[in-house]
Amino acid sequence: MTCLEFERDLPECVEGQPSPEQQAHLNSCPTCSGLLLDLNSIASQAKMLSAAEEPSAAVWNAIEERLRSEGLIRRSEPIYLPVEAKPSFMQRWRAAWLVPVAAALAVVAVVKLYHPTRLNNDDAKQVQQPIASTAPVKNASAKRKPALSHEDQQWLSTVAARPPAQLAKFRSDLDQANAFIEDAQESLQQDPNDVYMQQMLMNAYEQKQMLYELVVDDSSH
Amino acid sequence: MSTAKCAAKFVTVLALAGVAFAAGESRKDLHFKVGKHPAISINNPYGPVVVKAGAPHEVIINAILHSDKVEIDQSQSHNRIDIISHLLQGADQYSGVVEYQVLVPADASLSIHSENGPVHAENLHGDLALEGGNGAMEVLNCGDGHVHVRTLNGPVTISNVRNGHVEVVSMSGDVSLTSVSGPYVAVNSNTGKIEYAGDFGGEGEYSFTSYAGNIEAVAPAYASIDVTARSSQGRVDSDFSLEPKHTPFYAKAGSYFSGTLGKAASSVKLMSFSGKIHLKKRQ
Repeated sequence: MTCLEFERDLPECVEGQPSPEQQAHLNSCPTCSGLLLDLNSIASQAKMLSAAEEPSAAVWNAIEERLRSEGLIRRSEPIYLPVEAKPSFMQRWRAAWLVPVAAALAVVAVVKLYHPTRLNNDDAKQVQQPIASTAPVKNASAKRKPALSHEDQQWLSTVAARPPAQLAKFRSDLDQANAFIEDAQESLQQDPNDVYMQQMLMNAYEQKQMLYELVVDDSSH
Repeated sequence: MSTAKCAAKFVTVLALAGVAFAAGESRKDLHFKVGKHPAISINNPYGPVVVKAGAPHEVIINAILHSDKVEIDQSQSHNRIDIISHLLQGADQYSGVVEYQVLVPADASLSIHSENGPVHAENLHGDLALEGGNGAMEVLNCGDGHVHVRTLNGPVTISNVRNGHVEVVSMSGDVSLTSVSGPYVAVNSNTGKIEYAGDFGGEGEYSFTSYAGNIEAVAPAYASIDVTARSSQGRVDSDFSLEPKHTPFYAKAGSYFSGTLGKAASSVKLMSFSGKIHLKKRQ
């Protein structure tokens, strides 16, 4: 069994029993076994999410008041219905609200748990170079997970339906683009007139723009 | 040949035919008449796209569809042809594959988008815009047009391309340029390696930048360049003895060099944040 074939059958393996053929591949392939381990962790965390505490009634009341004030729901409806009554808009909305939150947290968990090896042998050797004192900074930037902006989160949500491994790669690329932007910005804070670093910053934004465009283009198929 | 062997062969042929039939593979041939400088766009989520120069005023497309879960949408408007592999319900990276072999007039402009498959363009003189996610991108023996390549993870190979703008943006795909020259050659990579082998000719502007990928440029001793190389956190080396020149930035020794070779006809900028940079002399 190849890695591609294993990835195709991956959904059946997550939290399930791998077939003997899949198990044989897992035993011989650290990448796929690591991926399965990560996905199982995510699946178990997602279950914990569903059991998490629901916000207090005060929070729901405040949201409801806000929706009423904006005219999105009408006052004629009773605020609270008996438990056995037909669920109200608000009750349905409460449950729906948890879905994207859980999805977003699951995405974050995917990315936090799945780190494909990115540094090549040359990078590893670089630590041995005479200027090795600066090399760890690179490693730090490669591992760094810059905070996601609102736009980043929106973008990730548009590709949330993609296969987990692909999603993790997108997030990894996004982190790399953001790390590039952050590092270039930090350098420019030290020397705002550094024309080359200005060019690097523009290039970093160009990479991020490409990432946004290509992935969203692909999602539209 | 024994009867048993004949029977075995017959069964094998039948089985293979059955597999091919079950797989639903089909072939589609398209022909278009076009004028000068036609514009051809191909959008193929899965599968390779190979484009070569063919007869003038004619576009020939041979496509192999791997299943009935994908179909080809085609349209022609004057000199513009749009081809889209249209994925149907249930199509995936296996059943959605379409393999394209395309012959176009050499002066055609191409726009190709392939999410996963490799893209190959050869012997063309129009503008090329190639986009992809994971597939390899290859441009060979092209010139007089602009070449724009954008890829996330696929490797990019550009060889023997002259007299046009060449711009490559890559996240983690390695980029290799061999005998590429022109008024503007730029590569922007995040973690992918950048390799250049050529003479930096054409009195052009060459700009190779990366975030963490290494940059290696190999040039002949007769190269005529004004070169600046700088890496904020990586090592920077040159095999050449350059005429020193002033740099508009502060950088510590070992992390940059700047100078000229010959008449300094072309401008070369090699910039990285944490990758290594090496300007090598061709032996």
